[in-house]
Amino acid sequence: MHIKNGKDFWAGLMFMGFGLAFTLVALNYPMGSAVRMGPAYFPTVLGGMLVVLGAMVFFRAFVSKFEHPLKVFLFRPPLLIAAIVIGGATYFASGPALTFGGEAYFAHNFFKGGPMVQFALAGLALLLFIGAFGPRSMFLILLAVVIFGYALKPLGLVLATVILIVVSAVGGHDFRKKEIVILTIVLVIFGVFVFVKGLGLPFNLWPGE
Amino acid sequence: MDWALVHNLGIGFGVALSLQNLMYCFFGVLLGTLIGVLPGIGPVATIAMLLPVTFNLSPISALIMLAGIYYGAQYGGSTTAILVNLPGESSSVITCLDGYAMARQGRAGPALAIAAMGSFFAGCVATVIIALFAPPLAEVALKFGPAEYFSLMVLGLVGATVLAHGSLVKAIAMTILGLLMGLVGTDVNSGIARFSFGLSELSDGIGFVIVAMGVFGFAEIITNLEQGEARDVFVNKVTGLMPTWKDLKDSSGAILRGTALGSALGILPGGGALLSSFAAYTLEKKIGDTSKFGKGEIRGVAAPESANNAGAQTSFIPLLTLGIPSNPVMALMIGAMMIQGIAPGPQVMTERPELFWGMIASMWIGNLMLVILNLPLIGMWVKLLTVPYRLLYPSILLFCCVGVYSLSNQPFDVMLTAIYGLLGYIFVKLECEPAPLILGFILGPLMEENLRRAMLLSRGDPSVFVTKPISGVLLGIALVLLLITLAPAVRKTREVAFQE
Repeated sequence: MHIKNGKDFWAGLMFMGFGLAFTLVALNYPMGSAVRMGPAYFPTVLGGMLVVLGAMVFFRAFVSKFEHPLKVFLFRPPLLIAAIVIGGATYFASGPALTFGGEAYFAHNFFKGGPMVQFALAGLALLLFIGAFGPRSMFLILLAVVIFGYALKPLGLVLATVILIVVSAVGGHDFRKKEIVILTIVLVIFGVFVFVKGLGLPFNLWPGE
Repeated sequence: MDWALVHNLGIGFGVALSLQNLMYCFFGVLLGTLIGVLPGIGPVATIAMLLPVTFNLSPISALIMLAGIYYGAQYGGSTTAILVNLPGESSSVITCLDGYAMARQGRAGPALAIAAMGSFFAGCVATVIIALFAPPLAEVALKFGPAEYFSLMVLGLVGATVLAHGSLVKAIAMTILGLLMGLVGTDVNSGIARFSFGLSELSDGIGFVIVAMGVFGFAEIITNLEQGEARDVFVNKVTGLMPTWKDLKDSSGAILRGTALGSALGILPGGGALLSSFAAYTLEKKIGDTSKFGKGEIRGVAAPESANNAGAQTSFIPLLTLGIPSNPVMALMIGAMMIQGIAPGPQVMTERPELFWGMIASMWIGNLMLVILNLPLIGMWVKLLTVPYRLLYPSILLFCCVGVYSLSNQPFDVMLTAIYGLLGYIFVKLECEPAPLILGFILGPLMEENLRRAMLLSRGDPSVFVTKPISGVLLGIALVLLLITLAPAVRKTREVAFQE
């Protein structure tokens, strides 16, 4: 069989994967009956429908009248496999104890080992996962976003903004040092005055405040 | 003449014309226009950021301001679409086609003026429609049981699917994927945290701001950067705002049709600005002389711009009468009402008339402000557009991140948004339209809840959805919509219509 439409091929696989994953996880919950639906009922029905629809899209890829190459976007399977292995191992080693947010790990657990190692491994898996797809610019932009999220509390708004702007700007094609310096200064001042002073959002400005 | 309506509108204008509310209305539409002009930052991010702040305002001021941001963004979005060929707002995507073509011919001024006039006309009509139709609808809604709610949501989802781009099967699959993602979190009936993988951050579910911002906001930045910067701003060419008499004559019909279509689609759950503008453009292309479409046809600007504004405003109807959010912005409005201790639903109109009518009156006032803001201040907005994208996107990222973070002050939310950004990029590449996913995501838990209740009440008999008259009619419409789309003739034109 010859795959005519690469987009349908991958989309079909994606839908089937999601449908299957939701159905399998839902099987852990009570099903109930049609009268008293348990927590598994609705997701199982939807998951089944998604698998069927995904299969339709998948098979359409072989008979489609639209031609698309199989390579739709950059995809690096080794990174994805590494992400799944590291992430899975970390998750199953720590189980429900693993948590990404809540308390700021940098402030409290940095030198205490344990959770910090988990956190670092989970973060590594995440970066590998993001890096497995798409262009370089996407990786840098999403990296900047993730760092901003986790740095905001321990490092404060000013430094987190600097990191976000610089890392994401590197992701563009046209990096001009001078411009980015000015942009960063403007946005830091804007952020401090509008977000913190004006809107009263509860961010600290500097580390350890 | 219905005196109750006049009386109610009197109350409304009394509320909306207070100095404080005028000020918040002005602030809302100004901010809305600003974010509408700037591509990449939309009402979802802005309202999410302002949500915690509204806690300190009076309920009516908060709602007036947030509503102003939403319909103000529809005005602003057209400016960017016409001058830069970039949708300032997702609902202006279609305006790019003919609006930018007009700008290239040196007719940016008339295009902007017609867009503003059409939006104003549509805004006025939509305000009247809300005032006329919301009260009787709310009365009907009081009779709605779980079966009716469920069927209505099915209709909304089918509507969103049918009007989405491209493949119907993919659109349905995206809707279902959205419904499933909406189910993540604690199940209200059993207390089991579903699909949370033991992560406490997921036990409250995934915020729709996270999904919307990732799938729309981040994914758009990534695809824009991938395509490279190719923008050509027609800054110096905006001369002579006034459209000619012929322009007005040509576009008046389109404005009327766009307004009518937009108002109707806005009421449907799943409708709103985006779908309205697409549908209006598709309709225009079937009427009269179609040779100039894509080459600077003024009707191609007038119709979608009127429709998106009408749709933006009438999408408040399902929210105010049924308590059902028809798009992410309306879901945020529910959040804003909850913060103020108001449960959205048909009872709002009778229990808090000043809130309901004040908001409607403010919409009309806000539309007037927008015309005044937009036409004379166009030069200022144009200046903003000369900011190159390489400076714009880091700023947009900052706003989005702060918006997401401020929802619950959790770094986890920001990380999740990044993952949804990745997913959004994959969706774009695989030609899977994300709009139905978002709607499914918002409606997922509501749908399950109503399905459960309906089945419990009917003792497990699924025929209740068909035998109850209102529910049956709603499902019937949904079925007809689906069948029409599958009919070979419509399928062909649909493919053609969405090719461009």
